Amino acid sequence: MLKKILLAIPAAMFAVSVQAAEPSDSPYEVLTELLSKNKDDLYLNQSQQNLMIMPDDPALFTAEEGEALFKEKRGPKNVSLEGCDFGKGPGVLKGAYVEMPRYFADTDKVMTFESRLVHCMVTLQGFDKKDKQVKKRHGSGSDMMKLTTYIAMQSNGMPWNSRLDHPKEKALRDAGEVMFYRRSGPMDFNCATCHGQEGKRIRASVLPYINNPAEWTKAVSWPATRVGQNNVRSTFHRVRGCLYQMRYPNLKQGSETATALISFWTDAARGQPAILPDTKR
Amino acid sequence: MRKNITIAAVVALAMTTAGCTTTGDGGMSGGMKPPSAEARALAEKLTFAENGFVQEQPMQEGGTGRDRLTQDETQKICTDVALSGKPIDDATASKVRALAKASIKYPAGGIKLGDWEKGRVLAWSGFGFRTAHKPDNHKKREPGATCYNCHQLATDRTGGTIGPSLTNYGKIRGSSDEILKYAYDMIYNPNVTFPCTNMPRFGANGVLTEQQIADVMAYLFDPKSLVNK
Ligand code: HEC
Ligand code: HEC
Repeated sequence: MLKKILLAIPAAMFAVSVQAAEPSDSPYEVLTELLSKNKDDLYLNQSQQNLMIMPDDPALFTAEEGEALFKEKRGPKNVSLEGCDFGKGPGVLKGAYVEMPRYFADTDKVMTFESRLVHCMVTLQGFDKKDKQVKKRHGSGSDMMKLTTYIAMQSNGMPWNSRLDHPKEKALRDAGEVMFYRRSGPMDFNCATCHGQEGKRIRASVLPYINNPAEWTKAVSWPATRVGQNNVRSTFHRVRGCLYQMRYPNLKQGSETATALISFWTDAARGQPAILPDTKR
Repeated sequence: MRKNITIAAVVALAMTTAGCTTTGDGGMSGGMKPPSAEARALAEKLTFAENGFVQEQPMQEGGTGRDRLTQDETQKICTDVALSGKPIDDATASKVRALAKASIKYPAGGIKLGDWEKGRVLAWSGFGFRTAHKPDNHKKREPGATCYNCHQLATDRTGGTIGPSLTNYGKIRGSSDEILKYAYDMIYNPNVTFPCTNMPRFGANGVLTEQQIADVMAYLFDPKSLVNK
């Protein structure tokens, strides 16, 4: 028993150092560097504990399962997702995730990563939106989270760079900004009530500040393993969690309203390295 | 009470002179460009779009999701302030204060302290009025007051820091009629003292009942309350 533990320790240390040598492959390395550049940052430093589990982050296995699903011929049309265009050409995954949301001419819509993935599963593979492969959005066991984690990981360490070239992209980003500051509901909340100042806490949780891009990149780095929930969670899952606290009604996944909020939140992290997948409380 | 107002005035002054700070709470930072009229119009359209938020979702207080998203005058003004990138100006502040003043109803028998132990439970509870994917059932459990989310109160639990620490509140402030009224107003509608504050209007918005406010007040002021130990 003791021998096992003694063997495990150097192995764990080795795993860490190997990952650290390969920045583009390791979310651990990206986060470590972000922390070293922001030593006194309260929000970022609460992730010290999470850092320890990062080399063995269960999301890495979720991503592995996602890779297999991505390459597998699936759906009524029996094709893989390798023909899906996430904005940088069919099958190009590197850097695609950090450039979403973006405008797609084939749908004449600004799409979040999630809505684009659904689009490809439906049009390319022939799934119906009601099939469980598409419909089940939450939990590490869902196809959507597996695929999302795998594809997002291909952008680890790259700067957030959502597209703002097309007028529709810009319009939605700007509307999302207004929505961030729009107060309503029985608590009079807007997003800025909790994310409009630096270093504030809700109970014990330090909140990320919208105007601090170094904090905000960690804030928007989803998918992430939520340690407390033992599951890999998506961007939309986080948006929904905050809207729930705000006492807002349910927001439909894939709606333009959701896209606007996500466009603004990605823009607020522009230029900062994405941690994909991340770990969170 | 006078001290508080003085403090508020000093803070407001500091914010005006600092120039590039935020509006203090929940606003855009000074360096940012206020959004265009088109952006604001699109945000309204998306907020009420049928395929966005579930407009017809039933809410605990009656009414629908649409009602929750519909702004009253105070929310409209405070959104404008948040989007201006500037601290609230005097004329707007007076208007928000006047709206708040008109909203406050006092208990028929005067302001009284209730049961501090009940107040303690309420102050900690984050339950109530949440809807979205998992609506809180008010028939099964009483909605709470969420004070700990933003405030440190008794030190046996960790509170937030969006609002100031209220530890030893009654011990420090005493319990004169004046301070009781000040605290009651804060809970009922804090905009009367801090226009466009981040603190919710628990009384005016119907989140807390008269009895619940009395219990929370007891938690702040009762000498036996853990807040004052
Ligand atoms: C009542 C307070 C509150 C409001 C209002 C609020 N949030 Fe949050 N938000 C939180 C809390 C608490 C967390 C979790 C932070 C933690 O665990 O450190 C969080 C987390 C986040 C995160 C991820 C950061 C993390 O570490 O988990 C993002 C991004 C975010 N919120 C965006 C928003 C947006 C956009 C809105 C408006 C639609 C919003 N929030 C409204 C309280 C709030
Ligand atoms: C969303 C955050 C938030 C919540 C929830 C909240 N408050 Fe506050 N509270 C504040 C802020 C912010 C201030 C400071 C006023 C300002 O500067 O805008 C404040 C101020 C106060 C004050 C005045 C403090 C003083 O110096 O005299 C009292 C009393 C108070 N709150 C009580 C409560 C009680 C009781 C509850 C629960 C029913 C509560 N608050 C819930 C944010 C909050």
